[in-house]
Amino acid sequence: MFSYYLRLAGRSLLATPAMTSLMVATIALGIGIFMAAVTIYYLMGNDPIPHKSDVLYAVQLDSWDPAQPYREDLPEQAPWELTYRDAMALRESDIPLRHAAMHKVSLVIQPAREDLKPFQTEARLTDGDFFGLFDIPFIYGSAWTREADETGQRLVVISASTNDQLFGDADSTGRILRINDEDFTVVGVTEDWSPVPKFYDVNNGAFDESEQIFIPSGVGRELELFSSGNTNCWKDEDINSFEEFLGSECAWWQYWVELPTQAQRDAYQAFVDAYVGEQKSLGRFGRPLNNRITPVHEWLEVRQVVRDDNKVLIGIAFLFLVVCLFNIVGLMLSKFLGKAPQIGIRRALGASRGAVFRQQLMEVGTLGAAGGVAGLGLAWLALKGIQVLFPGFEHLARLDPTLVGIAIASSVLTTIAAGLYPAWRVCRVPPGAYLRL
Amino acid sequence: MEFGPIWRAALRNKTGPVLMALQIALTLAVIVNAVFIITQRIDNITRPTGMDVENIVTVQSFGFGDDFSLAQSVDEDIAALQAIPGVVAVTSSQHVPLSGSGWGTQLKTSTEAGAAEVSGAQYFVNADALDALGVQLESGRAFTPEDVDFPEHYGVPISQIIVTRAYLDALFPDGGATAGATLYDNLGNPITVIGVLEQMHGAWVGWDELENVLLAPRVMPAKSIYYIVRAEPGQRDRVMPQVEETLLATNDRRVVKSLRTHSEIKDSSYMGDRGMAVLLAVVVGLMVVVTGVGIVGLASFAVRQRIKQIGTRRAVGARRRDIVRYFLVENFMTTTVGVGLGAVLTLAVNYWMVVSFELERLDPLYVPAGILALWLLGILAVAGPAKKAASISPAIATRTV
Amino acid sequence: MLEMRHISKVYRTHTVETHALRDFSLRVEEGEFVAVTGPSGSGKTTFLNIAGMLEDFTSGTFMLDREDVSNLGDDARSRIRNEKIGFIFQSFNLIPDLDVFDNVDVPLRYRGFTGAERRRRIEEAVELVGLSSRMRHLPSQLSGGQQQRVAIARALAGAPRFLLADEPTGNLDSEMADGVMALMEDINAAGTTIVMVTHDAELAGRAPRNVHVLDGLVQDNPETANITPIKSAPATLAVAGS
Repeated sequence: MFSYYLRLAGRSLLATPAMTSLMVATIALGIGIFMAAVTIYYLMGNDPIPHKSDVLYAVQLDSWDPAQPYREDLPEQAPWELTYRDAMALRESDIPLRHAAMHKVSLVIQPAREDLKPFQTEARLTDGDFFGLFDIPFIYGSAWTREADETGQRLVVISASTNDQLFGDADSTGRILRINDEDFTVVGVTEDWSPVPKFYDVNNGAFDESEQIFIPSGVGRELELFSSGNTNCWKDEDINSFEEFLGSECAWWQYWVELPTQAQRDAYQAFVDAYVGEQKSLGRFGRPLNNRITPVHEWLEVRQVVRDDNKVLIGIAFLFLVVCLFNIVGLMLSKFLGKAPQIGIRRALGASRGAVFRQQLMEVGTLGAAGGVAGLGLAWLALKGIQVLFPGFEHLARLDPTLVGIAIASSVLTTIAAGLYPAWRVCRVPPGAYLRL
Repeated sequence: MEFGPIWRAALRNKTGPVLMALQIALTLAVIVNAVFIITQRIDNITRPTGMDVENIVTVQSFGFGDDFSLAQSVDEDIAALQAIPGVVAVTSSQHVPLSGSGWGTQLKTSTEAGAAEVSGAQYFVNADALDALGVQLESGRAFTPEDVDFPEHYGVPISQIIVTRAYLDALFPDGGATAGATLYDNLGNPITVIGVLEQMHGAWVGWDELENVLLAPRVMPAKSIYYIVRAEPGQRDRVMPQVEETLLATNDRRVVKSLRTHSEIKDSSYMGDRGMAVLLAVVVGLMVVVTGVGIVGLASFAVRQRIKQIGTRRAVGARRRDIVRYFLVENFMTTTVGVGLGAVLTLAVNYWMVVSFELERLDPLYVPAGILALWLLGILAVAGPAKKAASISPAIATRTV
Repeated sequence: MLEMRHISKVYRTHTVETHALRDFSLRVEEGEFVAVTGPSGSGKTTFLNIAGMLEDFTSGTFMLDREDVSNLGDDARSRIRNEKIGFIFQSFNLIPDLDVFDNVDVPLRYRGFTGAERRRRIEEAVELVGLSSRMRHLPSQLSGGQQQRVAIARALAGAPRFLLADEPTGNLDSEMADGVMALMEDINAAGTTIVMVTHDAELAGRAPRNVHVLDGLVQDNPETANITPIKSAPATLAVAGS
């Protein structure tokens, strides 16, 4: 019976090509726009490191001004970054499996190759644990040691693309790379890694590419490198030198730890609270105790990585889909009631109400499937169009299998939902209703 | 006008009209709110900046090596850039306005404890800054080369600044502040305002304090600096490549990068607003089309269902225009019910967006405008089927097929 | 008051030319009750459409109430239908979503009466056909005979010059048919001209005057007794769209 209904549905749809095209187009429009908005929302809120996102934590200490919170609009939040003193102090703890203090720096790279001019790039100044923390695989070599962090050895890890660019894809470990007029030794080459969103530093561009060059945190002190990310200071301090800046209450360091077990997490929270308590007795940390260690997925929400505009767009796209469905109901009503004479004959010949109902639903479902496929095409087009509007977001405009499945399923389901009423109306046509003329 | 009978007939056959009214209600809610957001975004993008954005080119110079002296380099660079034909003025600055990167600072009006601090964007600029940015002085004077200092570290207090009128008004809400006023930095050091700008925009376009800007005559001891080069009208594109060439020719112990027009920087900063406006406009357009098509469809269906009835009306004396008018009135009534519901829905949707997303409260005038638009859409959409209905022959009434 | 002279109606399609009426002449005086009879395909439906100004005709003249209505535009014809002719259809043609009151109201709306005037006329007409108690009922709640009587009320409400009835009892059982015919006789007795088209000879017999149509020609009217019938193919049905 299924294939019979399917054939009937097909023939019925093809019998009114204009009406059918209109209905498919309307569904496609609604589903297409909605899926485009959903895709962006889904990818923006994507968990970028799912296998570890619940053991990786961002650390915040509330060292801010006693007179006002860090953010007026989020008064319960602590600053996103730590001071230098606090970041260095936290490294003393051996509770976390891994830890990394970090910030962005601007560096000038002076390639040895004659044909390459010196260029400036954004790099990351961090601890050696950074790579193990975020599971970044190495192609050659490995990360530097904690000792290198302490002493600020001139070591550097580069990404595979940078390796290609500077050393032509060879094993460059041991070779020298000149940075800011100093010689750095390459100790490792990683695979290209660019999580979406860039969860470990959402301050300047949560969807930016990751840095390609990494140097030990101790180097920053030696070369007096400021952060090229956010630096926020609340206290009226007379800062006349880099040393004084390091000792100030300015917050400019990001801090991530790995705490695999709940016990470790609790222990670490205790450690942090104890540290801050101790600092309070030294006159710092005038605000109430508010130390937070936040796992990745929560961090993304707290930092509002999915912008409000995306949510508004999804809401509006959804309402658009609803309007399209209303349209479909109207169109289907017209089509089905137009077929009432034919239905009357079928009923006179013995078709039950249920059979008529199922037949109409089959037609509706076929319509939904066709609309879903067309809608996917439209969604893809829409995403391409969005890339034009928002250059730099190419990696956001992808349709993966999950989304394809969602599109088709929601298309069929919503169309069937829209078709329930018209199908019910038409199966109530009395048998032989239109036989008398 | 057959309001009564149409209303009573609709009550007996509710489905079509109810569907249509709901659809219209939804459509009104969406398009009014969307258009409102769009106009707000457009207002953001087109608001005056106070600067001559279209004629400005910016570039970043990144020195490396211990022997690189920014102080020396800056004077040389500015002289060389100024010499390019077509250039009006050049200044150095540690950041570019409207670029999304900048330096926030706070000023206050007195040294008493608890004095209010007002935030603004700070730019360390050179002597020709006002001409290079194209900003207008309201009162006071511009900087001279003697004003510009080259401190060796960051903590040196500044003593003279130029601020925007908006910043002064924010600091002195009672008004009346002019050039010559004294302000204080967050350490309590006094600063004299030597000039007041009519208007200028700071670093972050989404910031409430975008209009609060302060300029200080100084070159900071950093490795990198931006040059802001203003060209004569029409000369910008010709001048642009020469900027990079000139800097590299002057000194190649540095990286010259990020050569961009100020227009491009501004567009980039407003990318979110522009993108959102376009996306919403597309959805609004599609929604109008879809609803219009829906009206046409439903009206055509109604006409087909009522062929006999229409013929009978004609037979008993309706003229063609009476039939057209009948459908127009019917559609008008459905639309009116729809927009009545829709007006409530619009305000509800707006309220929800205000609460959830801090969007602005809707200007009530948008609602009647939207209602008018939907009435118009209804009339246009129904016109076709109505004319078709009017052409039904009265002889249908006597047919027995 | 109704005078048709040498009316002919030709339907032309690509291939076929059909003469539905040929040299048809008829004269009806005020106050008459005329039954127009004929087999199906004889052209009586066409006559009906032309007499009711639902269609125009190919040649001839048509005087209605001493006014030449031969070459009027659509608007003018509509006005005449509205003011001078009262229609009664075989399948009643009531509007299903409107109650009795609103159905009778329909032609009055095109007249420009005030609300009060319309109400008065509707109440009178419905009273006349004896259905005042059913004023707010829908057609689906009425029997066939009652529906036809509502249709008659609708036709009468505008005080037309004559009623034009098309098989008025065709869809009714004999008892209801009787009732409707009796009502029409009463209306005629009160002075309203009635022209009734029917194929039912018995029904026709109740009308004082009969006119027979065959092959597009009037047979029994004394005035056309001199016309020589032209033999040709019978009129095809009005599928040749008007």
